[in-house]
Amino acid sequence: MKSVQWIFVPILVVASSLTLLYPNFAERELELAVRKEFKQLPEETRKDLLNSFAERWKTDYNPKSDWQIEPDPNIFPEQDYYLVKGRFITSAKINQLSQENQELILEPKNKLRPTWVEEYIFGGRPLAIRLGLDLQGGMRVVLKGDFDDYTSKLKDSYTKEIEELTRKKGDASLSEKERKEAQDKLKEIESYFELTPSRKLAELEKAKLIIDNRLTNQNLTEPQVRIQKDQDSIEVSLPGVSNSSQILDIIRNTETVEYRLREPSDPNGNSKGTYHDAIELEEMKLMSQGRKEETEIVRFQNIVKQKLGKDEQDKFLEVMEKKYNIPEKYKLYVKWSRANNPKASLLPREFVVLERAISLDGKDMRNARESYDQNRLSYYVSFSLTSQGAEKFFDITSKNVGRQLAIVWGDKVISDPVIRSPIAGGNAQIDGEFGQKEATDLANVISEGALPIPLNVLEMRFIGPTLGIESIEVGLKAVLLGFALVIVFMLVIYRLSGLVADIALLVNVIVLMALLSLMGFTLTLPGFAGIILTVGMAVDANVIIYERIKEELIAGKHVSAAVAQGFENAFWTIMDSNVTTLISGILMIKLGNGPIKGFAITLCWGIITSLFTSLFLSRMIMDLLVNKLGVRKLQIGFKKLESKNV
Amino acid sequence: MFDFIKYKYVSITFSTILIIVGFGVTFGKYGGFATSLDFDGGLRAVVEFPENVERKNLEEYFSSKNLEAVLVLMDKDKNDYQIDIGLGSVDQIRQLYIDRKGKDSVEAKQASAIDALIGLLQEDFKLEKKKILSANQVGSVVGAELTSTGISLLSLTLFFIMLYLSFRFQFKFALGAILALIHDLVITIAFIGFFQIKPSVPIIAALLTLLGYSINDTIVVFDRIRENAGNLRDTFSRVINLSINQTLARTFNTSVATLISVVAIIIGGAVELYDFAYVLTFGIILGTFSSVFIAAPLVDIYDTLSKRWKRS
Repeated sequence: MKSVQWIFVPILVVASSLTLLYPNFAERELELAVRKEFKQLPEETRKDLLNSFAERWKTDYNPKSDWQIEPDPNIFPEQDYYLVKGRFITSAKINQLSQENQELILEPKNKLRPTWVEEYIFGGRPLAIRLGLDLQGGMRVVLKGDFDDYTSKLKDSYTKEIEELTRKKGDASLSEKERKEAQDKLKEIESYFELTPSRKLAELEKAKLIIDNRLTNQNLTEPQVRIQKDQDSIEVSLPGVSNSSQILDIIRNTETVEYRLREPSDPNGNSKGTYHDAIELEEMKLMSQGRKEETEIVRFQNIVKQKLGKDEQDKFLEVMEKKYNIPEKYKLYVKWSRANNPKASLLPREFVVLERAISLDGKDMRNARESYDQNRLSYYVSFSLTSQGAEKFFDITSKNVGRQLAIVWGDKVISDPVIRSPIAGGNAQIDGEFGQKEATDLANVISEGALPIPLNVLEMRFIGPTLGIESIEVGLKAVLLGFALVIVFMLVIYRLSGLVADIALLVNVIVLMALLSLMGFTLTLPGFAGIILTVGMAVDANVIIYERIKEELIAGKHVSAAVAQGFENAFWTIMDSNVTTLISGILMIKLGNGPIKGFAITLCWGIITSLFTSLFLSRMIMDLLVNKLGVRKLQIGFKKLESKNV
Repeated sequence: MFDFIKYKYVSITFSTILIIVGFGVTFGKYGGFATSLDFDGGLRAVVEFPENVERKNLEEYFSSKNLEAVLVLMDKDKNDYQIDIGLGSVDQIRQLYIDRKGKDSVEAKQASAIDALIGLLQEDFKLEKKKILSANQVGSVVGAELTSTGISLLSLTLFFIMLYLSFRFQFKFALGAILALIHDLVITIAFIGFFQIKPSVPIIAALLTLLGYSINDTIVVFDRIRENAGNLRDTFSRVINLSINQTLARTFNTSVATLISVVAIIIGGAVELYDFAYVLTFGIILGTFSSVFIAAPLVDIYDTLSKRWKRS
C-alpha cells in the first residue's frame, strides 16, 4: 500500500460506525405514558393498579436489569409519564410493560427518548438495530375483510346506474332490444354483488399487495402479510414495532379516496335549510353560551386527540345522525383542516353532510403526484382519471355546477370545493391543507389503488418470538461462542497475521452492524444467517491471503515483497468469489420475499464490508507491521506445516 | 500430492449414490418430506401451563399419545408454550377426542381439530379456559410462496452466476461451478428428506447460506486452476490436481473456521436452531467435498469430452 497516512480511513470508518452503534448499547430513557383516564379513576382502584404495577416492576421487569424508574411505581407521577432509565430497553420489554399495565399506561404515547447521536446527528431518527418478530416478537394485526361493507359500497357506486337501468327496463317507449340490453346489464351488475370464495380471495390478494407496498413505503422491513383464507382475513406481522399508533397510521393509510357530493341546499325539498345548517346552529348556540367544551365538534376532537379509535368516532357520528334525523340517503362526515398556521395539526373542524352515493372512487383515478404550491405554501395532489372516470367526472361536474364536491380520504373530508364549471380532460387536483407527508400518503393511496375491501381490525396483539425467548438467548450465546472460537482458531493457526485477521473480522462486524442500523434494517433469523456467512467469507478472504503470503515466503521472498505479492495474488480470487456471491445476493433482494430478502440484505452488505476489511484494512495493517514497524519474521502457520510444504 | 482427478468417478459415483439413497429413503420410507407448520399448515396453540409442567413433561405427554408436536417456550416467567402440530397429526387428535368423549357424543362430533386439541389439553392438564392464550388452525405460510419464487429465483441466480463466470473464466468453469452448486443443493435436500428435518424458515436460511458458501469455495479452487493453467505447461488434469492441492490448506482452514461457528450452535444447546445447524454443518462439509471432488473433476471431464468432440 502506498502510504501509511491512509490509516485514517479505517479509523474514521470504525469511529463513525461505533457512533452509529452507540444507541444500541447506551443508557436510554423511556417515557412510559400514563393514561389521562387513569386520573379519573376512584382512588381505591388507582392504588390497586399502582400496587400491582410496582409489584411487577420488582419481580418481572427489574431483577434482570439495573433499570431505574422515576418516580417510584407506587406513586402517581407528577408529570404525564414515568421515566425509565437503563440499557437494552427492548421494544419487547416496552410492549410487556404497557400490555401488562393497560389501565395505567397508554401504549401509543410511550416514547423512547433519542440518544444524543440520534438527536443531534440524525434529527431524532431512531438508529438502534431492530430485531425481527422471529427474534424478539412484535406486533401482529389480523385484519378482517368487511365484505358486507364492500358490497354496500359497491352498491353505492352503482346506485345511479341501477336507477337508470331499472327505469330503462320498464320504459315502454324503448325498443324491445334496448330493454333487453338494460335487463342484461342490470343482471350483470347484480352479479358483481355476489361474492364467491374465489372472488373474495382475489380481493384479499389485491389488498395484500397494497398493504405490502404501503408497509414497505413506511420503511418497515420484512413486514409479513399473509392471507388467512378460511377467515377472510389478512394477517400482518410487524417485527419490532412497539408502538401501535404506527399501526393505526398504517390502517388509516389503507383507506380509500372517494368523491361524494355534499347535500343540496334544500335536501328535504322544503325550505327548512340543510342538515349542515341545523348542526351549525346548535353549535353556535352552545358557543354563545360559553359552553365551547360541550360542542359536538370539540367532543369529537377529544375522541381523536385521545386516540380512542375509529370505532368510537363512528359511534359518535351515528348518534349524531340520529339526533339530527339525517335520512338514509346522506351520511355525516367530518371535515379536517388546520388552524391558521400551516404547522398546526390536522384536526376535525366541521361536520359535513354528504350523499351516500359515491360519485367517483379510487378505481377511477391513477398516476397521482404530490406537488408544492408556491403561492399557497402548501402541497396539493394532482392525478389523472381513467377514461371511464373522466367521463363520470365530466358528467358529475356538469350536472352539479354550484354544488360542493367533497373529497373523502378514509373517513376524513379533506376538501370540498364548489364546482364552478364542468371539468373535462381527465386531469384534476386535490387541494387540501396538506403537509408534505400527507400529500405523499394521499398520492400513494391514489396511485397504488385504494384497498379493494375495507378491513377491520379483528385482532391486534403483541406476540412472542417464533423461536421462543429461551432459544434466542441460548442461540445468541452460541453464536458469540462460535465467533470467539473462530477468533481463537485464527490466532492459533496464523499467529500475528491471525491477529490482523481478527481485527479485520471485528471491524467487519462493527461496520456491517452500523450500516444495517443506518438503513433501519430489521434483523431476523435469516438475516443472522447472512451475518454468519459473511463472517465465514471474511475469514476465508484472510485465509486465502495468508496462504498466498506463505507460499511466497516458502519460495524464499523477502517478507515485505511476500506480503505485497500475496495480496496481489489473492485479490482476484477474493473478488471473483465475492462478486459471484454478490450477484446471487442482489437477485435474492430483487426477487425474493420475506426471509430470503432478509438473508440477502445482510449478505450483500456483508460482502461489501468484508471486501473493505480484507483487501484494504488487513493490507494496511500488514504493511504497517512489515514496512514501518520492522516485523521481519512473519509467522504464518506452524513451522512444521511450512517445512512440509517446501 | 494426492491425485484427486484419478478418483473423479469414485467421488461422482459416491455423490450419486448419496442422492439416490437420500431421495429413496425420503419417498420410499417416509413418503416425502417432513411436514411442518410453516410449510403445510396445522394447529398452533399457545398455552400457559402450570408451573410444575416442564418441557420434559409435555414432550412425554405428546409422545405417549403418538402425536408429533413442536414445543417452543414463549415466555419463561409465565411458562407459556407454543405447541405446533403438523397436518399429519390432525386426524389423530380428532380421533383421540372422539375416543375420549364417546363416539356418539355431540360434543365430539361437532368439534374441530383445534377444539379437540384444546379439549384434550384442558382436561389432561386441568387448565382453565383463559390459560389457553390462543389456538388457531393455521394455513401454510412460507411453503407455497417460497417454493414458487424459490425455483425461479434459483434458476435466474444460476444463470447470472454462469454469465459472470463465463466472462471472468471460461464456460467450462461456469458449467462446473453451477453443476457443483446444484449437486450441493440436491444432496442437502436429500439429507433433509433422509433425516425428516422439518422445512422451516431457518432451514431456508441454511440452504441459502450453503449456496453462498459453496460458490465461494468452488471459485477459490477455480481461480487457482485458471492461474496455473496460464503459467504451467502441463496437462489440464495435472494443473487441476496441482491447484486443488495448493488450495487444500486454505480449503481446510476455512471449512474448519466456518464449521466451528456452526457447531457452536449445537454445542451451545440452542435447541430450536439445531435443524439450522445440522443442515449447515452437513452443507459445509458437502460444499468442501464438492469443491474438491466434484467441481474441478467435472470441469476436467467436460474438458476431455469437448476436446474429443473437436477432434472428431
